[in-house]
Order: sequence, then structure tokens, then C-alpha cells
Amino acid sequence: MSEDDTTKSAEAGDVARLLSYVVIFLASVGLFVEATTIPTSRFEVLGAGSFPKLIYGGLVLLSGAAIFGAVRRLPSGALSRFAPSVPDWFVRRRLVLAVFACLGVYLAALPWIGFSWATFAFLVVLLVILSPRTPFSLGLTLVIALLFSFGLNWLFAEVFNVFLPRGRF
Amino acid sequence: MDALLTGAAEVLSGWTLLYMLIGSIAGIVAAAIPGFTVTMAIVLTLPLTFSMEPLTGISVMLSVYVGGYTGGLISAALLGIPGTPSAVATTFDAFPMARNGEPGRALSLGVWASFFGTVISTLVLIVAAPPLAIFAVRLGPWEYFSLIVFALTIVASLVGNSLQRGLIAALIGLALSTIGDDPIMGRPRFDFGLEVLAAGLPFLVVLIGIFAISQLASEVEDVGAIRSGKKLVKGEIEFHTWSVMREVLMRPVNLVRSAVVGVCVGALPGAGGSIANLLAYDQARRASKTPEKFGTGIPDGVVASEAGNSATAGGGLIPLIALGIPGSAVDAILMASLMVHGIQVGPRLIMDNADLVYGMFIAMSVASLMMLVVCVLSMRVFLRVAEVPKWLIVPAVLVCCVVGSFALNNRVTDLYLLGFIGVAGYTLRALDYPLAPLVLGVILGPIAETNMRRALMTDADWTLFLTRPVSLVLLIAAVLSIGWAVRGHLKSRKTTETSA
Repeated sequence: MSEDDTTKSAEAGDVARLLSYVVIFLASVGLFVEATTIPTSRFEVLGAGSFPKLIYGGLVLLSGAAIFGAVRRLPSGALSRFAPSVPDWFVRRRLVLAVFACLGVYLAALPWIGFSWATFAFLVVLLVILSPRTPFSLGLTLVIALLFSFGLNWLFAEVFNVFLPRGRF
Repeated sequence: MDALLTGAAEVLSGWTLLYMLIGSIAGIVAAAIPGFTVTMAIVLTLPLTFSMEPLTGISVMLSVYVGGYTGGLISAALLGIPGTPSAVATTFDAFPMARNGEPGRALSLGVWASFFGTVISTLVLIVAAPPLAIFAVRLGPWEYFSLIVFALTIVASLVGNSLQRGLIAALIGLALSTIGDDPIMGRPRFDFGLEVLAAGLPFLVVLIGIFAISQLASEVEDVGAIRSGKKLVKGEIEFHTWSVMREVLMRPVNLVRSAVVGVCVGALPGAGGSIANLLAYDQARRASKTPEKFGTGIPDGVVASEAGNSATAGGGLIPLIALGIPGSAVDAILMASLMVHGIQVGPRLIMDNADLVYGMFIAMSVASLMMLVVCVLSMRVFLRVAEVPKWLIVPAVLVCCVVGSFALNNRVTDLYLLGFIGVAGYTLRALDYPLAPLVLGVILGPIAETNMRRALMTDADWTLFLTRPVSLVLLIAAVLSIGWAVRGHLKSRKTTETSA
């Protein structure tokens, strides 16, 4: 990576962090207001909303200060240079996105088709995506998928008496 | 003396030793799998001990307990994922050490530190159980709150590159702990009518999501490396158990200090290994002449964390044996197992069942020795994990995380939380937010809130936090701790600016 690329990447990181401070600030303000609506009890001085108010108040102050500091440090034009670098970031992390997508579908399907089948499908798909395409790795994929789906389900049910989701079909 | 010999004879009988060996292996393996905790392993063991003699049953559970505290080290060192909440700080140095090509050394350091930590805590248990227990239960909510304030100052040591982001992460952790019913009145908070949030965020699900899922996702960032079958650790794997033992013993101050921290935290009801490892690590870092090296894979960090968390095993038994008060969920299950066998747990336990109590002391020592033997003998097998290609281990560990999160409460909604927190954890990691302060906030939040409100319900006078001696000492320690950390940050910033 050239020095220019490193500078650009660091600048994009600073902008992304600034956006995260803004998100945290806005969420904290909203939740602070929500905490003020929690009714107090006659049995105590503080009430259920007091501790959250303390926390969200702290978050508002800290994230506010972070926004101020980040905006001050950011070079001019950084925001306009940030947008084009976002797709690159996602492309470089396409496998991470694939993992999260598979995990999302797996977790959504788990209560419907049950642990064994959902896990088997999840492992086969993810292992095929991640593995080097050789006959050995494909064979290993099937073995691991069977072991960690049907095998794990059997182990938990028979040995530990813990029943993993069975599915509705 | 008779009671000691009777207890020893029962613990050292062939069948008890065999059961303990199985328990030790089960504890180590269960805790080594991300998402499975010592508590889960003990709960699953409990029904199996019903038909055993009381001391045999409790010895087996103690061996699971001791093994479990060490097992968390394995995935912490090799995968960067704490196998149990008590191994969070172990990831800070054991994982970089393993990635630097020394996984055997990282594991051996942890195993030996765990062994010595357990031995020291057993010695403290034998000598100081009654006075320590009486001191621990005399602490009121004021002292507990001040203790948590002190523990929160650990954040200053865990912030990484930015103090600001570290503090924000800690506050996010504290904020997450406020979701669900409030701990005093049970009033619902921040659930927005969603069933998934109504019961609050289970700590273990947050831990797995934040550490495990985000770590696993970051392992697949490099497309070329993963498709070429890259392993977790480069180079040949070697380990030299005995030289590492000397390496641990060469750090007596760190070892004893961390173990004492573990015993004290373990003796406090409600605290436990999940706090002790972070506190011990923090103290080791502050006392070090080279604090900047912590987090890069140095032995002191591994020794502090593992000695600290393992010593809570003995510490937790102190209030249980002396007063019949369980210090943690695991101790409560141990207590239940005694009660199942018709043994009355309370201050008279040591008088009415001296042989059983002495037997427990011996069982603790035997369990720590067994843990050591099992770990040393099986280390080569565990180290093979580091040789498994990433493409194979990432999906397999993801499934283990899902199973562990589900088995905690048998709730499918916990799995949705896991996925969401995993994505959030990865995003925070990518944005260079330190994750350890966040987890610390989730651990300490409910304890801090409960004790703050309980203190003010007992007496509305705020000044009691400052006028009660133990509370005052803890608050002064917290202020000193923050001052020390800020001084360190300023110093390191100055050094960086000078070198730049």
C-alpha cells in the first residue's frame, strides 16, 4: 500500500468514526429522553430511570466531545472523498459479508427447519464459499457438516438432555 | 486430624479419583468451546452425582469447576475467543503470543499460572476462610458500589489507542446492561415492546457476539489467505512445559498478587472470575515497568489473567463453607449438590461435617493437580487446533457459538440477538473501538446499579459512600487508579510525539 493509499484509508477511517459518534450521540439523546419517562417508585429515591440517565448522559457528553474533536481534526473535503471509498471497503470484505449473510439466513431458518438441517445447509454453503476448491476439501466439507449438524444434535439430545430447535416441518 | 484423614481417604479412593479425572477432562473440554461456560458444565454434571457419596459428588463437581476455569484459556489463546467470561483478559496477551508463533508457550503459561493460582487460593481457603468470609459479608451496598467504581477504572487500562473511544465503549456496555427489567423493582426498560429485548441481554450472548463472532468474521477478511488454506498459526508448534513452569515461577509477585486478587474477588458474593481476570491483569499492567508491552503477547499478561481467574475457585468457596452463602452461580450449584445429599449448609457446616469440608480442601488440591496433568498430556491435541485451516475452523466455531447461546436459556430469540451483536461487534472492531471495556461495562452494570440503588433505599444519605471506611478506601483507590492511568496515557502520548 502506497503512502497516499494509507493516508486516504486513515482519513476514511476518521470519517467513519465521526459517523459512528454521530449515531451514538443521536441514539443516546433519544434513550436519555426515554429514560426520563420511566416512572419512579415511592419506595426509593432514585427509580428505575436514574442509572440509565447517568449512563446515557455520559454517552451524550462523550460522543458530543468526540464529534467536536473529530470535526476539528478532519481535513477539508474529507467527507466528499469518503463516499467513493465505501464500496471498495465492502468489496475487500466480501467474505465477511458472505459469512454474515449466511449466518443471518441460518439463524432465521433455524426455528423453521430445525437445528440439524439448518446447520447442515449453513455449513455446506459456508465451507464451499471459504474453502479452496479441491476434491479433498469438498469431502471434508461434507464430513464436518454432518458431524456438526446431526452429530452435535444427537450428542446434546442423548448425552446432555438439551434439545436444540427441532423445526416446525 | 481424624476428620482430615477421613476426608482424604474418601477423596483419594480409586473410584473418586477416576470420576474426578473424567470431571476434569469434561470441564476443560466444555470451557474450551466458545459459548460453553463452567456453569453449564457444572449444571450438566449435577444430576450425574446424585447417586454418589456426598464427598465424591462434590469432588467431581470441583474437578469440573477447576478444569473449567482453565479450559477457557485454550480458545482464548488459540482463537482469540474467550472460552468462558473469565478468560477475557487471557486473550489480550495469550492470543498475540500464539499468533507470533508461540501457541505452546501461551498455553503452557496459562496452564501453570492456573495451577499455581488454584493452589494459592486453596491455601488461602484453608487458612483464612472464616475471617475472610465474615469480612466479605459485612460489606454493604455502599462498599459494593465503590468496589464496582474501582473495578470500572480498569477501563482506563483497556482503552487501546483512544481513551475517548474506550470510555464510549464502556458506557455502551453499561447501557446494554440497562435493557430489560430493572434489577430492583422489575420495571421494564428500553424493550420497545420487543420480546427479544424484554428479558434483557444475556451476558454470555453479548460476550460471544462481541468477541467470538467479530473475531471469526475478521479471520476471513483476507480472501487470498483463507482460500489458500492458511492456518491460524504460522510455523512449527513447539512447547516446553517445564521451562515454562520456571518462567511462571520467576514471576512470584505477579503470580501471588493475581491469585490474591482472584481470592478476594471470588470471596465477594456476586463477583467472580469474569471480574477477577480483568482486575488481576490491570494490576499487573500498572505494576509493570513496561506497561506498554501488555497486549503484545508478553508472559506477565497471561500469568496475571489465568492466576486471577483460577484463584476465584477457592475464593468462591470461602463464603460457601464459612457462612453458607454462594458467591457465584457455580457456588450456588455446588451448594445445591450438598443440600441434595441432605447436608445443611451454613456456619455450622465446618463443625457438623468437618470431614466433608476437609475433603473439599483436598479435592480442590487434587483437582488442580489433575487439571495440570490433563492439560500437559493433552496439550499436543489442543495445539492441533492451531493447525486447522481457517476455512474449516471459522464455520465450525460459529456453529458452536450458536449452540452455546441457545443452550443457555433454550431461547431462539437469543440467537437473533447473537447475530445482531456479532455484526455490531465487528463494526465496532473495524472502527477501532476496544471491545474489552464494553464487555466490562455489561458485566459490572447490573452490580453497580443494584448496589447504588440498594444503598440509597437503605439510607438516602449520599455521604455514606464517603464516610464508611471501606467504601472510602475503595473510592480513593479508584481516583488514584484513574490518575495513574491518565498519567500513563499522557506519558505515552508525549513519547509518541517526541519520536514522531
